[in-house]
Amino acid sequence: MAEEVSSQMNSLSISETNPSSSATISLVSGDDIVFKVEPTIAKEMETVQSFIDETDGKITTIPLPNISSHDLPYVIEYCEKSIAGKITKEFEAEFVKKLNNEEVKELFLAANYLNIKKLLDFLSQVIADRIANKSVEYVRRYFGIENDFTPEEEAKLREELAWTFTGVDPDDEDEN
Amino acid sequence: MSNLGHEIMIPSNNKRGKHRSQENGDRLSDLPDCVLLHILSYLNSIQAVQTCILSTRWKHLWKHIPTVKLHYLRNSPTVKRFDIFLSNMLALRDNSIALQALNLGRGLIEPQLLEKILNCVYSHNTHIHRLEISAISQSYPILSCVSSCKALTSLKLSLYNIGSRNYTETLFPTSLNLPLLTSLYLENFTFCGDEKGCAEPFSLFTKLNSLIIRHSKIKKAHILNISNETLVDLAMHYNSFNFAEIQLSTPSLCRFTFPDSLDQKICGTGLSCVKQVNINAPQNSYSMKHPFVLLGWLQDLANVESLKVTSITLQILSLVPNLLDVKLASLCNLKSLDIELRPLHGEFLLLLMKDDMLKKAIAKSHEEVAKLRKAFKAGLKLHPIPDGIVDFLRQNSPLAEVNITTKYKDCFNLKQVEEYVNGAKNTSYPQQFVVPASTASPSAALPSLHLCHAKKDTKRSGKIMSRNMI
Repeated sequence: MAEEVSSQMNSLSISETNPSSSATISLVSGDDIVFKVEPTIAKEMETVQSFIDETDGKITTIPLPNISSHDLPYVIEYCEKSIAGKITKEFEAEFVKKLNNEEVKELFLAANYLNIKKLLDFLSQVIADRIANKSVEYVRRYFGIENDFTPEEEAKLREELAWTFTGVDPDDEDEN
Repeated sequence: MSNLGHEIMIPSNNKRGKHRSQENGDRLSDLPDCVLLHILSYLNSIQAVQTCILSTRWKHLWKHIPTVKLHYLRNSPTVKRFDIFLSNMLALRDNSIALQALNLGRGLIEPQLLEKILNCVYSHNTHIHRLEISAISQSYPILSCVSSCKALTSLKLSLYNIGSRNYTETLFPTSLNLPLLTSLYLENFTFCGDEKGCAEPFSLFTKLNSLIIRHSKIKKAHILNISNETLVDLAMHYNSFNFAEIQLSTPSLCRFTFPDSLDQKICGTGLSCVKQVNINAPQNSYSMKHPFVLLGWLQDLANVESLKVTSITLQILSLVPNLLDVKLASLCNLKSLDIELRPLHGEFLLLLMKDDMLKKAIAKSHEEVAKLRKAFKAGLKLHPIPDGIVDFLRQNSPLAEVNITTKYKDCFNLKQVEEYVNGAKNTSYPQQFVVPASTASPSAALPSLHLCHAKKDTKRSGKIMSRNMI
């Protein structure tokens, strides 16, 4: 059975600021760690909320087999900021600074799975920034893509779409 | 209840289980096309098209991206290439896929290419909701196209209009009616007045939430009336409104960034409800009435909770004679005062500041004057936050938090500034003013001051703001 998380993990829940009587929701990570969160956090996660709604709120323990206990605190942190209306450019810059490429991908998958639109949009931008101006090989590795073109096919495609491969270097100077 | 956890599983669309740490790296490509397209929509279109080479699955994926995002290319020889790219991309893109957003970076756009782009926008004008065009081109075809996009929620236009010979102004169309628009950014526009000399360009946008106006002008008008029921955010930068008056009829206005010019008259009911204010006074174009303009603005801010000012602004304000004796009826709900330190360069302003200090010293004693003169000769730097001004601003809300930040870390020692503002007496030069005893009760006079990059201070106060520097 899942073990309760340490007090450090619990501090991630917003229970301190809002000691309301409503039942907390337990999110169980793929590696069986329980994260207790306020219902408002669960609301941010559409997948979780629709599940709670379907059972008329009777079920408050939600297993999330695809999300590890390493990633879930990040997701919860983002949702908390979002609820508090404190998603600023500065917060996002700090948030993303902590994450390596693998973690960004993991979080993106988690956000997609939990259907958290704001986090998904934000991480899409992060991924786009991280693959911007990178070589084809780099992007293949990043997405985990196996190149199934034959060298001839690839050469032909490059020729057909020469207008995108020659002379036009992407310039992301104005991206923000 | 807790054992239910193992019975109810949210179906996973991913075949792989939990121990995925060993198989990292190949999972993004397992995602369905719609999710990959979401990521691609954040990429510059040039690179987005290049993803066709990744694998057979990606060969045609780019054609379905719902956004077009193209930015200016730095090296001018490639402008031609840029045109070729854009024409090809628009021709090959799957036009049955709704175009949701077009983001076109600044650059010269040839009329023929512009026509192609606009035709593409026209064909999607019922559902395109974000449009961002920054271009050197003919403005009017763009504006007429924009006015057909009734679903727009966000519009950002920065247009350098090319007339028959050279650049000409772009008149903002008074008839532009975009009922769903919530966010509007305009750069390089001219607002034209009606027969009464009043320009009122924004009253038709019934859902407008945020408005930014930059580098714009007014023509045939002495009043720019910003009249909008729903507007929450308003900022104006680097406009030349020729001393016209800005009238704010904006009952919902919450955040306001004052114009950079202190020659700008602002009136109307809008200011009284504003909660957050930014004031960044310029230091180069100084006139004797500017300190009074600033004071006037502050007196209009009845309900402001967060006031952000630059140190330059405070230095200009301090030139109001006997400022510290002025009783404000405003700033009663102030919760935070943010001061951004900026180095004072304006020669004239610097001179006035020193002159003002000398005048005040004369009122005290000859020794003070001599001391000050000596200090000036020795290269005394003016303190970025004039004496007593923090308490002056907090006279009606003495508990407001004070945050001091700076982007110029080489020019300022935040710690010293904090001590100085806190009333530390170990300053090497004379106090400018005597702080009136009536400003605040003794306990409240100690500002709860926070330095934003002194992280170790977090333990000192529960209320500390860990706001990052902007």
